[in-house]
Amino acid sequence: MRKSLIIAALPAVLAASPALAQSATGTVDITGSVAGRCMFTLPNKTISLGEISLASNGKLDVSKVNGRNETLTGWCNNTAASMTVTSTQLTTPTAATTGFDNRVDYTATATANSVSATDTSLTAGAGSGSTVGQFSGDILVTLSAASSPTNGLMVAGSYTGNVQVTLTPST
Amino acid sequence: MKRLVSLAILALALPAAPALAQDSATGTVGIDGRVTPVCILGDPDPALVDLGQISESSGPRTCKIRTISPQVVRLPASFCNFAGSVVRVSTTALTSSDTTAPQPGFSRAVNYTATATNWAAGSSAATSAALRDGTSPTASGLGSTQPLPRIADITVTLTNFTTPGDLILVAGNYSGTVVVTLGPAAVPD
Repeated sequence: MRKSLIIAALPAVLAASPALAQSATGTVDITGSVAGRCMFTLPNKTISLGEISLASNGKLDVSKVNGRNETLTGWCNNTAASMTVTSTQLTTPTAATTGFDNRVDYTATATANSVSATDTSLTAGAGSGSTVGQFSGDILVTLSAASSPTNGLMVAGSYTGNVQVTLTPST
Repeated sequence: MKRLVSLAILALALPAAPALAQDSATGTVGIDGRVTPVCILGDPDPALVDLGQISESSGPRTCKIRTISPQVVRLPASFCNFAGSVVRVSTTALTSSDTTAPQPGFSRAVNYTATATNWAAGSSAATSAALRDGTSPTASGLGSTQPLPRIADITVTLTNFTTPGDLILVAGNYSGTVVVTLGPAAVPD
């Protein structure tokens, strides 16, 4: 009676053993990253204002500046991306004597992803940044609030300036 | 072993990451414009110089040119918006509306000097030298070049009213003209 009990127990032990003895699992974890990034796919445009003085009195014709616009294109791939604008006044090299101006100031507004950033050329440096977020598409640059320092007569010559739009992936 | 493999892949990824993380981009919209060189003369004030009676009405100089005081005309807020401009003055002598050739001893012309000042150094002046019959009535003079853009009231002064040979003036209405031209010095006569 005692022996028959030992034999009966052995098959039960053998049946449980094969799974533990023949397989194993190893894991390779894979990681990567995409950095926050912004790019312009169309980084340069030009707004040609033509004649900017009034034929009637020789002063700045603000209608030749205000409302003029151009469109850059670009993208940012992260929600924290910001946009700043730096506007540089229009100038001509010829000196301005009393009664004349050789500079045109203005405000530039860049709009992308329904977010705007502005800067006036009356003060140096960039304007305040705006969070533009993740987007891909147009960056509309519009000029407004044109003025000359004394509302004087405009010195003859060619005038040049520019608007720089900077997209930064993280603040 | 599992942990060692994971660390190896991570180490490979790290060197490439910093260059991407800080990328910003700048786009530029250039703006250009121009202002055309232009000169504008203010409206003359007065627009008409009325000398009234120009001959003496009595005395030894009866019917000869009277002494006429200088006549001043202002061209306010005249300007050129570029460097290198000049004022030209052209005068046409006063002549009688009666164009008949005058008899000997008579004149139908009155000469004068027009001088424009307050633009550049010196002045621009012209003196008419019409003959007594009114021929050759015009003269012109050019001033010095203004080296800077300038806005100023140009003053034109009419002086030195004379008749050729100080002859007796033919009766009638007399008229003459002063033309002031403000423009680039490079324009030829």
